[in-house]
Amino acid sequence: MNINAIALAATNYNPSTVLEIPEALKVSVTGLCVVMFELALIACFILLMAKIFKIAGKSKKAEVKETVEAPKTAGTPLADGNSAGKLDLVDVDEPTAAVIMAIVSDQSGIPLNRLNFKSIKKLEDK
Amino acid sequence: MSIVDVFAGLWASSGLSQLFVADGWKNLIMIIVALVFLFLAIHPKFRFEPLLLVPIAFGILLANMPSTGLMADPAGLMDTSNVVEGAHWYNDGVLRLIYAGVKSSIFPCLIFLGIGAMTDFGPLLANPISLLLGAAAQLGIYVAFMIAISIGKITGGAVAFTAGEAAAIGIIGGADGPTAILTASKLAPQLLAPIALAAYSYMALIPLIQPPIMKLLTTKKEREVEMKQLRNVSKVEKIIFPIVVFIIVALLIPDAASLVGFLMLGNLFKECGVTDRLSDTAQNSLTNIVTIMLGTTVGATANGQDFIQVKTILIVVLGLVAFSFSTAGGVLLGKLLYLITGGKINPLIGSAGVSAVPMAARVSQVEGRKYNPKNFLLMHAMGPNVAGVIGSAVAAGFMLLMFNH
Repeated sequence: MNINAIALAATNYNPSTVLEIPEALKVSVTGLCVVMFELALIACFILLMAKIFKIAGKSKKAEVKETVEAPKTAGTPLADGNSAGKLDLVDVDEPTAAVIMAIVSDQSGIPLNRLNFKSIKKLEDK
Repeated sequence: MSIVDVFAGLWASSGLSQLFVADGWKNLIMIIVALVFLFLAIHPKFRFEPLLLVPIAFGILLANMPSTGLMADPAGLMDTSNVVEGAHWYNDGVLRLIYAGVKSSIFPCLIFLGIGAMTDFGPLLANPISLLLGAAAQLGIYVAFMIAISIGKITGGAVAFTAGEAAAIGIIGGADGPTAILTASKLAPQLLAPIALAAYSYMALIPLIQPPIMKLLTTKKEREVEMKQLRNVSKVEKIIFPIVVFIIVALLIPDAASLVGFLMLGNLFKECGVTDRLSDTAQNSLTNIVTIMLGTTVGATANGQDFIQVKTILIVVLGLVAFSFSTAGGVLLGKLLYLITGGKINPLIGSAGVSAVPMAARVSQVEGRKYNPKNFLLMHAMGPNVAGVIGSAVAAGFMLLMFNH
């Protein structure tokens, strides 16, 4: 679509022009097409950008995986369902603490046996 | 001189007497309208867009007080029909001087800067198809434009809109106040007040206008569609987006460059991470200051002498038509995408393409949840919503390109 051609055609118009209905229809259809075309162009650009970033992200992830995989063998995970270290509970009962730890594990995607909780403290009610 | 003559002279020079001579009743009606608007904006039961309606309503009140000269233009800065010889710019009324910010497009552009700084284009970047919904929801602009032109033919020219006036009226369908003001100030300055009032009034009434249209055009099954969670968008994508969009739009439609340019500059302030102070100013202080000046002076253009006419009523009706068709355009393309994607897109998000950020997206969310309580459409609807802002700016740019010579 050549926007300059539209602009050239529009040089005959000014704000006080009284348009005939066929002319108005032409302007309307062209206007809607221009908006569609322009936003579709931006959509194509976004898709292209997303693809580039996806490829770049994949190669970066692969690099990170290689460096992370090495120390993996050094530590030994605890038995399933256990967490490491000593946990201080301040004004929190054990079932509540268990629920909190399970939620943290679920949301972070890290198994419970690889997490180390130090303390769970109830904040003052405001 | 008798005391009666003194009182007669005082009465004749008072503003009160002006309300009861010639067209003074028109000012009186506008004063009542202003008081009703203030009531609707302030009363806890209504609170219709108070941040805009209070300055607009008070502007109407200011401009319709007879003999105050707040919008007088003896220097002929904007109106050369009543120039007083030897008058300087500072002799103009205070509201007229501030109005120069509207006339010169400074205020609409600064408002767009603030909107850009408040907008998160993440949902749009995560789902680029939203842009098509934002484009389809500009349908009402062109339908209202067509109807406005046809009115002149139907009435045999008794009431006719010129091309510029019809274009400015159509832009109401973009549901974007600053864009409507900018277009009207360039193409139909004499209709600025009714166009701005219609645009802002209908934006406030979106929760009432859109739902019946959305329900009418969609099936229960379509309204219940749950959409997939959006992907995460990287910071770099968010930084590149405003720069490239501005370049694309400005190169293709230079007349849209001012609005889109300021919108994207504001967004770049927000996303680049090194201009937090500028972003904060654009979002808060600057937007608030400009809103006060824009709202008050737009209201002040609603002088009873010019405002009360048949065209005003037609503009109000055409504005509603424009809003309705824009909503329908977005929903209908949403339906088409629902079919193409095999039911992955909920057509209700299409109605959010009518700018009016974030109210239109909220309507999609509320309507979606009515039919499926597990549905969460807000973020999906924000995509077409912000696309609508770009779409209406492009549509306005196109109209300016066509008629602003």
